[in-house]
Amino acid sequence: MTGVAISGVGMTEFRAAADASILELAAAAADRALADSRHSREEVASLHVSNALAESLGTRAGVANALASAIGVEGASADRIENTSASGASACHRGVEAVGAGGEGVALVVGVEKMSVRDTPDVTESISRLVHDREYRQGLTLPSFGGLAAGAYLDRYDAPRESLAAVAAKNHRNARANPFAQFQKAVTVEDALDSPVVADPLRLYDCCPMTDGAAAVVLSPEETVPDEGSVRIEGIGSATGTHAVAERDDPLAIESVRTAGERAFDRAGLAVDDVDVACIHDAFTILELLELEELGFYDPGTAWEATLDGETALDGSLPVNPGGGLKARGHPLGATGLSQIVELVWQLRGDLPDERQVPDPEVGFAINVAGFGNNSVCTVVRHG
Amino acid sequence: MGESTGGDSDGERPIGGGRPDELAVDRAFVCDDCGAEWYYDRHRCPDCSGRAIGTYELGEGVLVARTTVEMTPPDVRSPNHLGIARFGEVRLTAQLADGDVSVGDRVAFAGAHRLREGRDETDPRLTRIADGE
Repeated sequence: MTGVAISGVGMTEFRAAADASILELAAAAADRALADSRHSREEVASLHVSNALAESLGTRAGVANALASAIGVEGASADRIENTSASGASACHRGVEAVGAGGEGVALVVGVEKMSVRDTPDVTESISRLVHDREYRQGLTLPSFGGLAAGAYLDRYDAPRESLAAVAAKNHRNARANPFAQFQKAVTVEDALDSPVVADPLRLYDCCPMTDGAAAVVLSPEETVPDEGSVRIEGIGSATGTHAVAERDDPLAIESVRTAGERAFDRAGLAVDDVDVACIHDAFTILELLELEELGFYDPGTAWEATLDGETALDGSLPVNPGGGLKARGHPLGATGLSQIVELVWQLRGDLPDERQVPDPEVGFAINVAGFGNNSVCTVVRHG
Repeated sequence: MGESTGGDSDGERPIGGGRPDELAVDRAFVCDDCGAEWYYDRHRCPDCSGRAIGTYELGEGVLVARTTVEMTPPDVRSPNHLGIARFGEVRLTAQLADGDVSVGDRVAFAGAHRLREGRDETDPRLTRIADGE
């Protein structure tokens, strides 16, 4: 129990290159979340803005203060939360703490990233600066770690290459009915297997895209929301892991994922078996499998088979990434973790059209991961 | 190797925030107090928190995982063969000399290569140790 409810959510359409500026994107998501809540901007006591790359891509500095004025919540406390690709969930965590601390008013959490301002090699370079200096010296990028882990996973469990492609095909299938997704086209297992190699055995369609977009949530003390029909944050937990990936005991282990998951579930008083719908940080297809296993949704070495069997599909026993995941909805770093929460709230409230609605979910789970497991943030939400 | 970044008793170890690329890629850290070994810079020994830290040259390791990266940064070779190798309790990720190395192979650092363009220094890559050597 956190004592905090999600009283409103909203996001912009995720696109490869948005016309809107970084502030316009953030303001649009904030407006949608406030409109969805029953709160006015005068009630916003704190503004928590997540963004990873504004300075390194040269869009702007001081994004939180600029946004406070842009959306007219001057007077609220405001700051910016940077936790690379998990900035969004970290900002949500800070917002939960702010509301839980018993202040007056509500917390507005806004995540934004505008990645299209630079070309792909520049953005890749900016992101790869998050690795350890001794890793950087070897030319390591985030997909490099994905390739190392994917190769080790397929070898150890004798899993077919198709099992990775099946993750991509599933998440693209889910995104087809999501107008907020960057990609709304079908990608078949064969398409994924035929796409160019990025980091063997990972191919282009095993990797998330670069994205412009924003997402926002409004957090309120739970006593201020109706007992019926509200979505509460039952648990939220963060944990860091080793900075250098090779220092982990096992190339398939991501300790921060496990620890953050345990903290979130402990606080919620719930377990993986209670989860009806999950948003898993699939920056690479292999990560969806590794995280599902590390969190205890599946035993080690079995998530690939469950995926091939359709268990994680929209109509499976554990629908995973019904909005398309990072893979197909897109991955605007600072907004991604919040877009997972937005998706869960929509699913739990039953807001979605039938073709992408999970039937009657009560408990939702999200995991947002920084780097290749440098830091993980897990959130458990429940519809009352 | 061996130039102090200042501020610590051990003149060989780069201090956090200093110039971590000073240490040669084939060298790891060892705690003078408890003997713990590690590769990735830490301000203190991860086991005993000691600050008397030396370095040593890595010998023979075993390849634990590998990948060939086709889409690399502009200053990095393409394809870039990479592997995770275990040297006793030390584990690290490094460039492989070529694609002719398999998981389970014995490896050692060898050669003089430019790991990223634009650097003056050359560094060794992980190279397979042929059977019988």
